[in-house]
Amino acid sequence: MRIEISGLTKTYRGGVAALDGLDLTVPTGMFGLLGANGAGKTTLMRILAGLVRPTSGRVTVGGHDMSTGAGRTAVQRGLGYLPQDLGVYPDLTARQFLDYLALLKGVDDRTTRRRRVGELLEVVALTGDADRRLRGFSGGMRQRVGIAQALLADPQLLIVDEPTAGLDPQERIRFRTLLSQFAGRRTVLLSTHIVDDIAQTCGEVAVLARGRLIFRGTVDELTHRARGRVWSVVTDGPPPAEGMVVSALPHEGGTRYRVVAPAAPDPRARPVEPAIEDGYLALTTR
Amino acid sequence: MTSQTARTLGASLRYEFRMQVRKRSVWIVPALTVVLFLLIGGSLLRDLFDPNERKGQPAEARTAVVGLAVQVHALLSIGFGCLLADRLIRDDRLRVAPILDATPARPGARLVGKYLGAGAATAVPILVVYFGFAAAYAVHTDAPQALGWALATCAVVIVPGLLFVAAFALTLPLVMPAPLFRVIFVGYWLWGNVVVPDMMPTLARTLVHPLGGYPLDALLDFHGIDGDDTWAGPVPGATLNFLRPAPTPTTAWLSIAVLLVVAAAALAGGHAVRARRA
Repeated sequence: MRIEISGLTKTYRGGVAALDGLDLTVPTGMFGLLGANGAGKTTLMRILAGLVRPTSGRVTVGGHDMSTGAGRTAVQRGLGYLPQDLGVYPDLTARQFLDYLALLKGVDDRTTRRRRVGELLEVVALTGDADRRLRGFSGGMRQRVGIAQALLADPQLLIVDEPTAGLDPQERIRFRTLLSQFAGRRTVLLSTHIVDDIAQTCGEVAVLARGRLIFRGTVDELTHRARGRVWSVVTDGPPPAEGMVVSALPHEGGTRYRVVAPAAPDPRARPVEPAIEDGYLALTTR
Repeated sequence: MTSQTARTLGASLRYEFRMQVRKRSVWIVPALTVVLFLLIGGSLLRDLFDPNERKGQPAEARTAVVGLAVQVHALLSIGFGCLLADRLIRDDRLRVAPILDATPARPGARLVGKYLGAGAATAVPILVVYFGFAAAYAVHTDAPQALGWALATCAVVIVPGLLFVAAFALTLPLVMPAPLFRVIFVGYWLWGNVVVPDMMPTLARTLVHPLGGYPLDALLDFHGIDGDDTWAGPVPGATLNFLRPAPTPTTAWLSIAVLLVVAAAALAGGHAVRARRA
């Protein structure tokens, strides 16, 4: 499902512009979306999920015009959506919650529905807790239920907003693998603050800032943006005043700082190979 | 109605019923109200169950079970409305609304399913209490026809009243805090049902009387346990008498229809409010 966005603007009441003339094309496959808090990522995902109407602009998903009710419904038939702040009904068990959502997603045949719910509970490692009420689930377990519900109707478009928040490292890796396996000929739009998740799963990525697109390209191209701007410096004094400190590691003789800056932030600084996180920071902290 | 809409409605109804009927407060609130009923309605129960109370002239079955319905409906509907007040807004509070709204299921069908499912679950204790008393009366007086009258009363008085209450209880908290709605609802219920029209303007005895004055009067021929009361129609000197035509079977059915239409309008309003927020 190809997504085409042109001139997309969303201004909330009070004049807050979440999206400001956004143009973006998202092809089939895994696609990452990066941006600081308030960059407009969640608003964009809510528009693509048919939850929010844009102020202006045009969005088509798989050729369906999202400005029409029929278009939104057509897209939602093939949509899996995991919102950033997922909620569940505490009085239902995981199995019942998934069954209810499967019904709403149009999985009408009882046998098919039961099998699908069972498979997904297995995929997210919740089979043993399937008949416990969600009230007693931890944040990570609820997130796994959220992941399962997003995959229920075998969606052609999967929109996931901060999907690995609350997951432990093993769960994170398992989910990333699951997403990559799932993508295939489908479209998976992954929004996250965890740059490493994008690096490990997405071929292409877009970066938003203040509602606008500031980068679109491959992960390598994003990484390349920081070439010649990433520095390593060891000092026992204060961190370098210039640039953005990416990491600080204790080191013999002081602290080793990794800094993204247009020029060497310290006479002792030496250039190092950039990573995707450096590329992102080089873009957003100019 | 398309088959997809029907399936959405059915799924929503089933799960909303299941979630609501498991809530402890759905059972505790009516139980406490029944205690109140036994205290307040003690004289009615003595009238119905104690042969010495009415000097050997027990109320006939129809009068007895309709009288029970009036008291049960008047008291337990207060809790009914209060218990439903969080059902629609809780989807937002629990942050479930986004994943529901991202499904192809029509929001209107989900709303109706929630309305009927949560409403039916909340009505279960009321119906258990009512039919429990009616069955006890039928056994006690050896009058099985009492159960038939109880069913008829339920159909034309209790169910339309509860559908009316449920629609507002579900949708008004979209535009005001649920606790405030509960306070206003209790006030409304007492004002609209208990206050007599010649004291102040009230909806009592009008076509929009959720306690079902017109069906009580014109369809069930109920005039109180002693046969002295009227439940609908104009009151000399009262305001809003234009809403109080003479009680006839036609105006009784009209009253039921008005309650259902107003309930549908409240639901449509709630649906529009939610749609506008998108």
